[in-house]
Amino acid sequence: MTHRLVRTRTTAGSPLPRATRLGLALALSLSCVAIAGCQAAEHDNEITVTGSTTIMPIAEIAAEHFMDVKPDTKVLVSGLGSSAGIETVANGSSDVGTSSRDLKPSEQDLRLYDTPIAIDAIAVIVNRDNPVDALTMDQVRAIFEGRIENWSEVGGEDRHIGLVNRDEASGTREAFSKIVMQEARFDRSAAVLPGTGQVRSVVAEAPGAIGYISLGFVNDEVKALSIDGIEATPESVVDGSYPVQRILHFFTRGEPEGLAARYIAYVLSDEIQQTVVRDAGFLPMRGGVVR
Amino acid sequence: MNKSVTNIIALSILWLAAGITVVVLFAVISYVFVNGISQISPAFIFTWPHGVNAEGGVWPTIVSTMYVTVLAMLIVAPIAVLAAVYLAEYAVQGRLVGMIRFAADSLASVPSIVMGLFGLALFVEAAGLRFSMLSAALALSFLMLPIVMRATEEAIRAVPKYIRWGSYGLGATKWQTVSRIVIPAAMPRIITGIILATGRAVGETAVVIYTMGQAINLPITPLDSGRPMTVHLYVLAMEGINLPAAYGTALLLMVLILGFNLGARYFLRRASKRM
Amino acid sequence: MTRSAEDSQASMPDSADPVSMTSGEQGSLRLVSRATHIKELALKNLFLLCAFVAVMGVVLIFAFVGLRGWPIFAEVGPIAFLGGADWSPTVGQYGIWPLIYGSLVVMSGALVIGTPLAVGTAIFLSEIATPRVRGIVRPAVELLAGIPSVIYGFFGLLILRPIVARLSDGLGFGAVTGWLILAIMIVPTIATLSEDALRSIPDGIREASYAMGATTWQTIYRVLVPAAKIGIIDAIILGMGRAIGETMAVLMVVGNAPHIPDSVTEPIATLTTQIVMDMPYAAGMHRTALFGMAIILFGVSMGLVALVRLLSKLQSSMDAGR
Repeated sequence: MTHRLVRTRTTAGSPLPRATRLGLALALSLSCVAIAGCQAAEHDNEITVTGSTTIMPIAEIAAEHFMDVKPDTKVLVSGLGSSAGIETVANGSSDVGTSSRDLKPSEQDLRLYDTPIAIDAIAVIVNRDNPVDALTMDQVRAIFEGRIENWSEVGGEDRHIGLVNRDEASGTREAFSKIVMQEARFDRSAAVLPGTGQVRSVVAEAPGAIGYISLGFVNDEVKALSIDGIEATPESVVDGSYPVQRILHFFTRGEPEGLAARYIAYVLSDEIQQTVVRDAGFLPMRGGVVR
Repeated sequence: MNKSVTNIIALSILWLAAGITVVVLFAVISYVFVNGISQISPAFIFTWPHGVNAEGGVWPTIVSTMYVTVLAMLIVAPIAVLAAVYLAEYAVQGRLVGMIRFAADSLASVPSIVMGLFGLALFVEAAGLRFSMLSAALALSFLMLPIVMRATEEAIRAVPKYIRWGSYGLGATKWQTVSRIVIPAAMPRIITGIILATGRAVGETAVVIYTMGQAINLPITPLDSGRPMTVHLYVLAMEGINLPAAYGTALLLMVLILGFNLGARYFLRRASKRM
Repeated sequence: MTRSAEDSQASMPDSADPVSMTSGEQGSLRLVSRATHIKELALKNLFLLCAFVAVMGVVLIFAFVGLRGWPIFAEVGPIAFLGGADWSPTVGQYGIWPLIYGSLVVMSGALVIGTPLAVGTAIFLSEIATPRVRGIVRPAVELLAGIPSVIYGFFGLLILRPIVARLSDGLGFGAVTGWLILAIMIVPTIATLSEDALRSIPDGIREASYAMGATTWQTIYRVLVPAAKIGIIDAIILGMGRAIGETMAVLMVVGNAPHIPDSVTEPIATLTTQIVMDMPYAAGMHRTALFGMAIILFGVSMGLVALVRLLSKLQSSMDAGR
């Protein structure tokens, strides 16, 4: 067990400090011993976690660490989009379905058990040289619908607005579509990019560009706009005043049990919440956020 | 006078065209090398990716790529070589051969995304092989088949006829002649073809993305899924958070491809020396 | 089918070409034992079976992609599918005209840029280059063919796109960026085949032209290119196929906006890129539509191959008539 730990962790920089990792390993191995009885009862030591590409990084890293301390288990993670996650967990082809959106009305009767695991706030970003600092929700919607095409219409320079959208499989787009667009159609001329980092670097280079990414990925290269007068900061997200935010879910068929339950508990532990979840650009579900 | 001026201008343009081609090649290669070289270390090659943005190494993607490539090669090489033996040694020009050649040409030009969807529909879903090395290898083998077939057929046709006559003259049967004389003589060029086709498989993305899956996994059995280097590079590049790892992966991929091409070249040179 | 091949083989007259060696040697086979004869026959049929795998592959692709994609033609209708201007699969609009348009625009631009480059390189290789220069350019062209499309896309995304963005004051995603990357990618296909066509022209024709006092360029322009015309056209057609079918490299640079853009520097989508963008979440009729797009791509690529074969048949009958 320690051998595996050394092999995967110490050879390259890890988000976890070594002491934490060892403590974590110890704690988990103890808990494994504690529940060894019920573990013997289950045949399957392999679970599949499928769904949201937004959650994939968290799910994947958590799985990696989880397998390091429990080498006889296998947690396979794949990102196919939230809809696929809900579909596969409902039809039994995966054990945990991850989703960055709530269940649709048509999915309500699938009898899925919901475990919220993190908060994702979405920042609307523009180029640093863009004089515009704040927009209203309606303005943002009008821009992404293509009804406002020039920055001068919202108090900026006379410059064409370059829309950068995410792909339809993206959970971020789905949330943005629901919260900001209120299901209005995006302008078809927007560039559709399948990754957060690309949206960020395109906006960072193009003076007229506007896009949206998870708040945790906002860096010095771009500027996050205030929405309806509220700055996009972790504080304003946690106190609920920043309007563009959503909750990330793990869905299971019924209450999670066996390996799936242990895996989910691990994702909710501080070890993952305070490091991996934050690295992925999200805000922890635990640690002060209770709503 | 006028004539020679035109000549000089036209020839300069042709030089320019060839020059651009070479410069572009070097631009792409050196771009990947310059940006990727600082990423390459034993740790990058031999450890697993971890962390939210795939920090660390790319080992499982290298294994997945090699695994599927070798598997595809093992599947396709015997079939393609024997098919080429038929076309070069046994076949008589007719409707059947015409059909086979047309099919091979069509296979060679099938867009890789179509091959990927085909692999998904047939191997992953209908045959129940799921996302696996085997599904990907089978889909890739259809892509490699025409390349190896053509190279082998050309190699066999390049074997001088008098060698065959000698064999027949000694009372050998057709199969004896083909298996003991013709194929060994054509072997270096056949291997060249197989290596080139394999190099093509290494660089393939759209086929494997729908047949192998995308989950990072170290494949053990042919039914295991995995993520090949090309898909890893695509994901890293489009995600755009961890570009250093993308550069490193691109460089490893490039080195692998260059290795295959130089290997093919080496066998070809040996072939021309022997003939 | 096997039978007919053998019948035709048996009726072949003896001559010195390798094919009829078969019939010559089949006669001698009767001198060997029956077991050997059967073994030889069995092997031959095994080889035929292997060769038939290629045919099987095409049939399987047609069957599986076709079966999955066919309902879109049956239920949405070929006119609404091919001619519809609205690709909004989430709300049940399956018009792929903007994607077909995108594929055509991206392919044509790539051909316009790539063909002169490729044919120029081919002429250079076969007529101008000294063996030493050829030793550099020829492997370079082959290596260009070997570089994976995802690396071209990576290069396009991080190098070409920002340049286009700066020049056009836009995002840099669009047909132009796709043209540049695809133009590079089709050079090896067109250059290699064109060079083959030029090299197959007998040296006597060149010598005759030079003996008449023609310059190198006049020989190329008036004699060699016309003589290799069909071969070069074949090469361009196959390059066209490569350009239409290319996926990953295009995907990374065109911006994937499924609509008809106002300018070539605005985002655009093609059939291939839309399949990759949508596959992760497509279900039901949407997925069927993606397979329907694959049918079109497959049909186009086979059509182009058939065209090339038709042209070479035309040429050989022309040659025979000469």
